[in-house]
Amino acid sequence: MNPPDPITPERVAALEAELAAVKKRDAEFRVSMVQEFLDRGERNTYLHTLHEERTALRRREQESFADLELLVRKLEAANDRAAAAAAELARVRSSFSWRLTAPIRALRGLLGGRPQPAAPSGPERAPVEGARFTYYLHTSPFRVYRDASFTLRGWAWPADGRPITAVRVDLGGRTFIGRCGLPEPEVIARHGEQPGNPRPGFEVTFETPPGQHPLSLEAQIDGGAWRSIVRTTVWCEPRNP
Amino acid sequence: MSARDANTRWRDSTSTLGERSAYKQVWDRQSQDSDVAALAVAGHTDEPTLDLTGRQFVDTLRGTTGLDPADVILEIGCGIGRVGKVLSRECLHWFGADISPGMLRHATARLQDRPNTTLVELATVGLQEFPRDAFDLVYCTIVFMHLFEWDRYRYVQEAHRVLRPGGRCYFDNFPLDSAHGWEVFTASSAYPLDRRPAHVSMSSTREELGIYLRKAGFADVQVRDLPNELIAATGVKPA
Repeated sequence: MNPPDPITPERVAALEAELAAVKKRDAEFRVSMVQEFLDRGERNTYLHTLHEERTALRRREQESFADLELLVRKLEAANDRAAAAAAELARVRSSFSWRLTAPIRALRGLLGGRPQPAAPSGPERAPVEGARFTYYLHTSPFRVYRDASFTLRGWAWPADGRPITAVRVDLGGRTFIGRCGLPEPEVIARHGEQPGNPRPGFEVTFETPPGQHPLSLEAQIDGGAWRSIVRTTVWCEPRNP
Repeated sequence: MSARDANTRWRDSTSTLGERSAYKQVWDRQSQDSDVAALAVAGHTDEPTLDLTGRQFVDTLRGTTGLDPADVILEIGCGIGRVGKVLSRECLHWFGADISPGMLRHATARLQDRPNTTLVELATVGLQEFPRDAFDLVYCTIVFMHLFEWDRYRYVQEAHRVLRPGGRCYFDNFPLDSAHGWEVFTASSAYPLDRRPAHVSMSSTREELGIYLRKAGFADVQVRDLPNELIAATGVKPA
């Protein structure tokens, strides 16, 4: 073992300088530690802001869907009123008095009166009956459809608890069969076990040709009758190229 | 812009006592421009006086807690950076924390030629933005008079957390039993009940400051009377 260095003023000065250097390195390390901590906090704050913005956007999206649904319902009511008026008009036109006064209107037409409207088209296929369902649609159907197809996703079960064995979308008379029995663990956790529908998720992809179409999302109950879960009218307008 | 104008605008920018706890709002309202901000945090607007009082305070720190060129320092409630501008020349790095982003904007302008400074906006009362065991010195001057007692103690506790073992702290306020303290007290009592401003200055006692530091875990706690009629409590975080 070597004897310790003798304590000289030079040795003390060297040790003091070394101690000062160590202290400075330690302080510099702590400064960078604080800076890193602050940067991380800032990143977390930014992330938190992004999360808040995403939540706000989702809320706005839901509000927009609610507004759109209201407008769709109003349009449907207006369409119903127009159909009722057309039916009333057809009834008037087929009445005895209308036929009796036809020559007078023909004469007025020859003298420059208004052109006669076309006769209404024939009746559409009778829709399936509705039924009470507990359901939710992850992708809202209340929208303007811009793409060539759309996938409706959600979950549902009938109020009487019977199993859904198939799902489909009827779009203006065209039928699109979907998939059912998809897992929805969060829904089951929230609403409790559904013995008839342990996997209540579904999805249906359907084409969206341009124009206005009646849409009916339908479920087959226990391999028997089809029942409508939700019905609406949709507008399909392809994006401009 | 005259000090008289700034005085008027400052009076217009103040809030009522009921809002005192909304520190961010109360102090941001008083940071609308640099003169009003300086008046609110230091009581004067001219740069030479701000520098002079900044230097005086650094001397106070040197005489109480001591200063070391390798110190990493945190000021709680740095306002417009009055002290940081002077103190940053005498330490390794100076961090200034304030709850008012408006005050920090002025501080940023005043400290733009000080690369060893960092300004941090506090989200609320406390120092949650900072890690533990990081600083050599934490101080808080001319701030406690604007805080409720619970929040004063919260900052003392937080100072203890962010100081490294062996780190020093300093907190001051004005006492009621000085001529100046009694003058502030009687002047404040003249406000009508519903028009007491949120920033109104409230005194501390020597006992109060000492209790805060001891309860928070500081050792070597000393409460001093300073020549400028403030009382200051200092302590050391045990190693």
